[in-house]
Amino acid sequence: MSDDATLGDMLAKRGVSRRAFLKYAAYTASIMALPATSTKVIAQALAKARRQSVIWLSFQECTGCTESLTRSFSPTLEDLIFDFISLDYHHTLQAVSGDAAENARHTAMAENKGKYIVVVDGSVPIKDDGIYSTIAGMTNLDMLNETVKDAFAVVSVGTCAAFGGIPRAKPNPTGAVAISEIIKDKPLINISGCPPIPEAITGTLSYVLSFGKIPELDHLGRPKAFFGETIHDRCYRRPFYERGMFAKSFDDEGARNGWCLYELGCKGPVAYNTCATLKWNGGTSFPIQSGHGCLGCSEPDFWDMGGFYKPLSTSLGSVGTAAAAAAAAGAIVGAGSAMLARRHQENYLKDLADKDEEI
Amino acid sequence: MTQPIATGCGALGHTGLTRPLLREIATLLKRLVEEGKTDAIDLRSLPMSEADRNELETTLGRGEIHANVMVAGDSEVWETFYPGVWWVRHFGANHQIASESILITDVPDILKSDAADIKRAAVRLDVDLIEKETGTEKTSDRENAHE
Repeated sequence: MSDDATLGDMLAKRGVSRRAFLKYAAYTASIMALPATSTKVIAQALAKARRQSVIWLSFQECTGCTESLTRSFSPTLEDLIFDFISLDYHHTLQAVSGDAAENARHTAMAENKGKYIVVVDGSVPIKDDGIYSTIAGMTNLDMLNETVKDAFAVVSVGTCAAFGGIPRAKPNPTGAVAISEIIKDKPLINISGCPPIPEAITGTLSYVLSFGKIPELDHLGRPKAFFGETIHDRCYRRPFYERGMFAKSFDDEGARNGWCLYELGCKGPVAYNTCATLKWNGGTSFPIQSGHGCLGCSEPDFWDMGGFYKPLSTSLGSVGTAAAAAAAAGAIVGAGSAMLARRHQENYLKDLADKDEEI
Repeated sequence: MTQPIATGCGALGHTGLTRPLLREIATLLKRLVEEGKTDAIDLRSLPMSEADRNELETTLGRGEIHANVMVAGDSEVWETFYPGVWWVRHFGANHQIASESILITDVPDILKSDAADIKRAAVRLDVDLIEKETGTEKTSDRENAHE
């Protein structure tokens, strides 16, 4: 449970120095594209913060989002987030079950009224009064409404919670909807992806913890730091796209030489996410680097976008025309991304100056 | 369906990014001299190839100080061949680089002892000495500190 000790005091009791905050702050600044000079201010804010109560609700989901966050590596820098938050309820991870588990949720809600964050993974079925998914005898819909009532903010983790995801795919037999279609009166952050990149989850929570507010979001409610650019914008294969060099099959000469996978159905040009820069499994690789096109899993209705192996141009016109148009658009998007990044840093620097005055 | 082939991005070669980056570092170092202003460059945010990174590291070289910081995983900090230009590398899961920066400063903050830590250390040292003198010393705290 949360208590009144600051995170700095809490780690100090365990013999961990303030350097841990500096390291975590450097890591957070890096993954959120914040100015590298902001490290000290973020570290000071984190050290003075209280442990953040988090209630994690899992509805129509596959547990992949939780796996993404808790993937089992040795204790490291990234794992510090579990010291900074108090995960007061997560029915997949917690040891207790039944009434004891539900009591933990109610206790966390009462003790942290107005301050706790509700993280949701999975969509919510609303057809037939929501009977298609229940926990402890409650429909997902009722549990969501009850839990969110006194929350500070809601974070929809994964494409199912953010946009409905696979449960919402046609013909959507349970009437699955995104959290944003139900919750209208609370700050809400969408961290989409199937699953989402763990750094996007931890980075966003760290930002909220450091600054006491939600980060800048895009038109779909996603943090711009992670969803401000397309996969294509930052893809290392993009130079081949610009030269019109496309792999025609997954193991032809072009594929072996790292050419662009656009004609094999890659959705990178329309998928906003940070896979090409943060990558997966501790920065090891990402789907395109492994030779497969992007599925666009961080976008709404990605499951119904017409086939993973159909090039985007199939629905837009001939390959040549669409590719040429996309190349021109790419140059514009590239310039736009640079402007976006600069604006992001300018806004952030303003926040930082305010925060610095408080400290 | 044919089989996807993995191709890395390490083989891209030089992108030409190192030279302007070195110029920027030189400018920031002059500013440290003239105005006392510290600065930092996040290397992870730059689209550098492995060849670029190696070129940067080779050009900046290594100076007199190389430190390992062991808290929340490993970190390496070294002063480059150019005093005032520091390279800070934090490792994360699977010893992958989680954060990497060039700092333009006299001493990186990560190498300094924090005031709150020093205050606690003063109290702890007193307690440890009393326990040592009275034969009631514990070693668990020291062991915990290095976990």
